[in-house]
Amino acid sequence: MNRKLFEHGLSIAFVTAVLLCVLFAVRSGTQTRTKAEAASSQTYGNLGFVDFDNAFHKALLKDAVNIFYPDQYEKNNAAVEKILANKENEFSRKLQESGVEERLSFGKLLQLLVMLLKFVLVYAVVMILTYYGVQTIAVFRFTRKKLRSRETTRSFAGVLARVAKTIGKTAVYFVLFSPAYVIAYSIRTEFNTDTIVFMALLGVISNGLLVTYANKFYAFLVAESRKGYVETALVKNLSDSYSPRGPGGIGYRAILRPAKRFDGHVFGHIFSNARYQYLSTIKEQASFLVSGLIIIEMALNIHGHLSYEMLRQMLYKNYDIVIAIILGIFYVVKGTEVVVDMMGNRAEKRMENK
Amino acid sequence: MKQLLKRKDSRWLGIWLAGILLVGIWDVLFLNRPALLQVTAGFFNTFCVALLVVVFTLLLAWGFALALHFLDAGRNRTPYMLLTFALNLIRSIPQIVGILFGYVGVSALVEAGFIRSPVLIFSLLALSISLFVFIEFVDLLRERIAHFQKLDFYNAMRVCGISEGRVINFDILWKNSRIHILNKLISVFGAAIFLQCSVDFIISVGLSTDVNSVTLPATMGSLLAKIDSKQDILAIGYTLTHPAYAGNLFFEHLMGLTVAFLVVFTLMSVYHIANGYAERHRL
Repeated sequence: MNRKLFEHGLSIAFVTAVLLCVLFAVRSGTQTRTKAEAASSQTYGNLGFVDFDNAFHKALLKDAVNIFYPDQYEKNNAAVEKILANKENEFSRKLQESGVEERLSFGKLLQLLVMLLKFVLVYAVVMILTYYGVQTIAVFRFTRKKLRSRETTRSFAGVLARVAKTIGKTAVYFVLFSPAYVIAYSIRTEFNTDTIVFMALLGVISNGLLVTYANKFYAFLVAESRKGYVETALVKNLSDSYSPRGPGGIGYRAILRPAKRFDGHVFGHIFSNARYQYLSTIKEQASFLVSGLIIIEMALNIHGHLSYEMLRQMLYKNYDIVIAIILGIFYVVKGTEVVVDMMGNRAEKRMENK
Repeated sequence: MKQLLKRKDSRWLGIWLAGILLVGIWDVLFLNRPALLQVTAGFFNTFCVALLVVVFTLLLAWGFALALHFLDAGRNRTPYMLLTFALNLIRSIPQIVGILFGYVGVSALVEAGFIRSPVLIFSLLALSISLFVFIEFVDLLRERIAHFQKLDFYNAMRVCGISEGRVINFDILWKNSRIHILNKLISVFGAAIFLQCSVDFIISVGLSTDVNSVTLPATMGSLLAKIDSKQDILAIGYTLTHPAYAGNLFFEHLMGLTVAFLVVFTLMSVYHIANGYAERHRL
C-alpha cells in the first residue's frame, strides 16, 4: 500500500511541477508579447501626448519626425504608418478582448476553487448513487434470473407480458445509453436543465455508465455463483431460495438496502466476493464518471461550472486558467484513486486473510 | 440462420444492421437531399474514425504490453518503472479532456495548413482517442500473459526452445486470448463512437462552430450540435407534453432525430453485441 501511495504522491508532484512550469511559461510568454508590442510603438520615445484619432496630431507627428530625421522621408513615413497601424490593431484587440482576457489572479483562483468544490460535490453524489445503483441493479437482475430459471410459464398472458417487458426494457436502455446532451436537449423546453440536481441525475442515468458497470457487477456475480465454495455453502445448509417472499428468500428490502447484507444465504458470500472484484473497476468507473460530468457541463454550457469555465477559457486562449482547471481535475481523479486503493487494500486484507 | 439468431451477439448485429437500413430507407424517402448527404457523410466519417481507433488501440496496446513484459523481465527495472509511471499518468487524465486537447491540436494543424489530407486528419483524430483508451487494453493483455505464465505449458514451451516472443505473441495472445481481445475491441468501438461524438459536440457547441466545420470532417457529434438538429431534439421534449405532435417528429424533425437515434442505437447495439459475445464464450 505504501508503495502505491508513494507512486500516487510522485505522480501528483510530477504533474503539478510540469503544469506549473507550463503555466509560468504561458504567463511569461504573454508578458513578453505585451512588452514587444509596447516596444514597437516606442520607436520615437513616449508618444503618449499624441492623440492618434486627431488628423492634425497625426500630420504634426509626421512633420516632427521629418524635421528630426531629415533626408529619409520614405522611411519616416513608413515608420509613422506602422505606429498608426499598431495603435489601431491594439485598439481593436482590446475591444475584442474586453471582458474576455483574464489572468490567473488570487481572486480568480478562489473562484475556480469554489467551482472545483461544486464539481467535487456533484461527483461525490453521483459516485455514491452509481455505486449503489450498480450493485442494486446487478443483484436484482441476478435474483430475477435465478427465479426465472425455475419458472416455466408459456401461457398467452405470459408471452404478452414478456413482449411488454422487452419494449419497456428497450425504452429504458435507450435512455441509459443516450449521451447526456441528447437527454438534456430533448427535455430542455419542459424542465430547467441547468440545476445541480439535474446534473447529478443526468450523471447517473446517461452516457451508459450505470448499465455498463451494473452489467460488470452482474458478470462478477454470475462468475462467483459458479465457483466451488457455493456448493460447500449449500452443504453447510445455507439458504439458496431467491424468492422475494417467504423465509430464507431475498426480499426487495434486502436488495434495495444501501448496505447490502444477505446473512444466512449463500448469496451473501457470492455478493461479498463479487463486490471485492468490483472494487478493482471503481477507478475505471470514476474516470468514466469524471469524463461524463465534464461532457455534461461543457455540452450543456452550464455557466459557473468548472468544465464550462475551462471550455470558455480555452476559447479565449487564457491558457494559464485552463492549466489551473486541469490541475484541479487531475487532483480529483488522483484523490479518487488513492481512496479506491485504500478501500481495495482493506478489502484485500479481509478477503485474502492477510 | 435460426442458430445465428439464437446467439445474442449475432442477433444484435442483425438488429443493428436492420435498424440502420430501415432508418436509411426512411431518410431517403422523407429527408431532404442536402441533409441526407450530411447525415450519410457524418455516419461514415464517425464509423471510419471509430474503426481506426480500434486498429490503433490494438497496435498500441499490443506494443506496450510486450514492452512492459520484456522490460519487467529485464535486470534494469528503471525503464519498466518509467513506462508504468507514464501509463498511470495517462490513466489519471480524464479521457474527454485528453481527447479534447488532441482535437484542438489537430484543428490547429489543419488551420495552419500543415495537414490537408482527410486520411491523415482521420488518423490523427483516431490516434488522439486511442491514446486515452488503450491503457485498459494493455491491462487485459498483461493479465492474459500473467495468467498463462503460471501454467505449465509456458515453461514447457520455453524448455523446448521456443522463443518467448513467439510463446507470448502466438500461443498466449493469438491462440488463447483472441476471444478476449475481440470482445474488448467491440467495447472499444462503442467507446470510440461515444467519445468522438461527445468531443465533436463539445467543440461544435462550445469552441467554435465555424472552426470545426471548416477544419474537421463532419461527424455525428458535430451534426448533432447544429442548430437544426438541436431544434429537432427539442421537439422530443415538446412531444412529451403535446403527444399529438409525435407524428411530426418523423417527418419535420428527421435530421436531428436520425443522428440522435443512430448514436444511441449504435451504442446500445454495440453494448449488446459485446455482452452477448462475452456470454457465448463465457468470458
